[in-house]
Amino acid sequence: MLILPAIDIINGGCVRLTKGNYSEVSKYSLKPIDAAKKFINEGATFLHIVDLDGAKIGRPVNYKQIFEIAKDLKIDVQVGGGIRKYTDAKFLLENGVRRVVLGTSFVEKPALISRLTKEFGNDRIAISLDLKNGKLMTKGWNKNNLINIPDIIDLLKKLQIVYVIITDVEKDGMLEGPNLKNINIFVKSGFKVIVAGGVTSKNDIDNAEKAFAYGCIIGKALYEGKIELRQCFKNNLAKRIIPCMDIDNWRVVKGINFQNLKDAGDPVALAKFYSEMGADELIFLDITATIEKRKTFCSLVSKIAENINIPFTVGGGIRSLEDVSRLLNSGADKVAICSYALTNPEFVKEVATKFGAQCVVISIDAKKTEKGWEVYINGGRINTKIDVVEFAKEMQKLGAGEILLNSLDSDGTKKGYDVELLKAVSSAVNLPIIASSGAGSEEDFLKAFRDGGADAALAASLFHSKKLLITDLKKYLLKNNVTIRI
Amino acid sequence: MIQIIDYGAGNLKSVACALEKLGQDYQTIKYPEEIADSAKIIFPGVGAAGNAMRKLTESGFAAKIPQLRNPFLGICLGMQLLSGFSEESETTCLGIINGQTKRFPESVKIPQIGWNRVKIKKDCDLFQGLPDDSYFYFVNSYYVSAPEKFVLGETSYGLDFVSACKKMNFYGVQFHPEKSGDIGLKLLNNFCKLC
Repeated sequence: MLILPAIDIINGGCVRLTKGNYSEVSKYSLKPIDAAKKFINEGATFLHIVDLDGAKIGRPVNYKQIFEIAKDLKIDVQVGGGIRKYTDAKFLLENGVRRVVLGTSFVEKPALISRLTKEFGNDRIAISLDLKNGKLMTKGWNKNNLINIPDIIDLLKKLQIVYVIITDVEKDGMLEGPNLKNINIFVKSGFKVIVAGGVTSKNDIDNAEKAFAYGCIIGKALYEGKIELRQCFKNNLAKRIIPCMDIDNWRVVKGINFQNLKDAGDPVALAKFYSEMGADELIFLDITATIEKRKTFCSLVSKIAENINIPFTVGGGIRSLEDVSRLLNSGADKVAICSYALTNPEFVKEVATKFGAQCVVISIDAKKTEKGWEVYINGGRINTKIDVVEFAKEMQKLGAGEILLNSLDSDGTKKGYDVELLKAVSSAVNLPIIASSGAGSEEDFLKAFRDGGADAALAASLFHSKKLLITDLKKYLLKNNVTIRI
Repeated sequence: MIQIIDYGAGNLKSVACALEKLGQDYQTIKYPEEIADSAKIIFPGVGAAGNAMRKLTESGFAAKIPQLRNPFLGICLGMQLLSGFSEESETTCLGIINGQTKRFPESVKIPQIGWNRVKIKKDCDLFQGLPDDSYFYFVNSYYVSAPEKFVLGETSYGLDFVSACKKMNFYGVQFHPEKSGDIGLKLLNNFCKLC
């Protein structure tokens, strides 16, 4: 369902509604374009603009502000307020406005509506209906002659209208949520219904969606902080579970304990096994990464790519564009760059520019010190004194696509990921974070996702030793309301 | 016969491996003259829009693609390039699907990396036999904002974006079917079966 934040314009300014005081419209400090930008940043793709001055005098007046939003920000907008003439509607529609909203004039001027739908298409016109007690409220028209819903529907159908905006609060002014019964009547009659008025909570939005509304306009509740816009938009991206395999000369090493595999140390067999178990991604780290073994590793990558069709990352000793190119051409999706990113940050930029940010994973070894978390290299032997959070931010700037966050403190402990570290990094950068080191139980994964803000979680020996099966882990996470792909 | 367009943007190995698994006859092509009338075309792509369009223009594909009547599947960047314009380095694209390629809002992590659901909006051959709301693998910072009439599937990531579209013989998918496990293979197989 489409969510349309509303922008009401008076005198070229945005009606600024101070918290809990809707009637106070005296401050116009927020520019409509700034309000629009804010909504776009929060996920809006379609805006509902009302020219309140226009509504008052019967013709649109705040054109400048409307076009600024529609043209400069290149966002879809529908505009209402005082559009009663063909020329006014045409002017808006020809200058970047996606849809014009006409009010009760449709009962007065059916010819105008017909002309507009014929000329511009009926997806460019919406009719706004104010309903009360199952009847159409018509302002300035014959107030005593209210029209019943079936008659409105007939009339709209005759005019070939598809989009209707319904404001219908059963108990006027009580803000008790939209009247779903009437929405349903219109939906069933084949209209694309945009619900307006009375939408005061996330619950109202969910109900509108359940009633198969096409869209929902949110105004007052947004400004009053009753609804947070970004929470209105769904995010179905699943958290990822990633087994990690350390490779030494075509063999998976460390903590392998598989009985049902013919050759438990064969990375290809193991990759297939994990893929079938429901792993979302795989990581292979070449732990020796010598020049002579590099060739072997590339053939291995090639073999893996031929045998699985889920994404995988490779890492270990990547130091040149040629390394990256060879691994990607062998079929890897991403490369993990480790200590080399520290000594040669420009390299990260080069890889991102040449191959795209999506294939650059920066692996960071973090250790807690009295200064916070600092980046270590050489397997934890050398402290670079570089702050982990600052380094992650720097990597984001250079074009990293993802951060693989290892904690030297929790590595090997099986006592859980370093949730505080995860929190610190995931709140500082806007990149996906892969939690690593310390997984010992299914609950550790839950904590990394729920409390640490991780987007993916990696484990090696926990999976290799079969102490935890990915299928069981995924069931557990799903039960605990984590979005997981099963 | 499936032809995979190789215009130097990203590796083609994954697509080739997937077609191999499906037992499809395929080849990669580097020049527009190589396009066979009877072939189905796969147009993959990772990386940046600006660079990709430059390469397509140089190789002559940019002029050729819009004229094609072969079943045509743009994957990820390949789908975005079907739009008219991309915000990514302000690039003019092929203009087959009138719509724009936009960056995800700041309210979500960019890039989107991982498995996300595709809500099927319109019945079509491509999704034949695939359950609604199936998970596919995505890697993208941008998405195509296309008119409703071209939308086949939608996905939610901080906003509802078009994850599959179709205009005439041109199909676009924002996800990577070649990396989406068995369900992705099924979708590719559906494409291979198109006539």
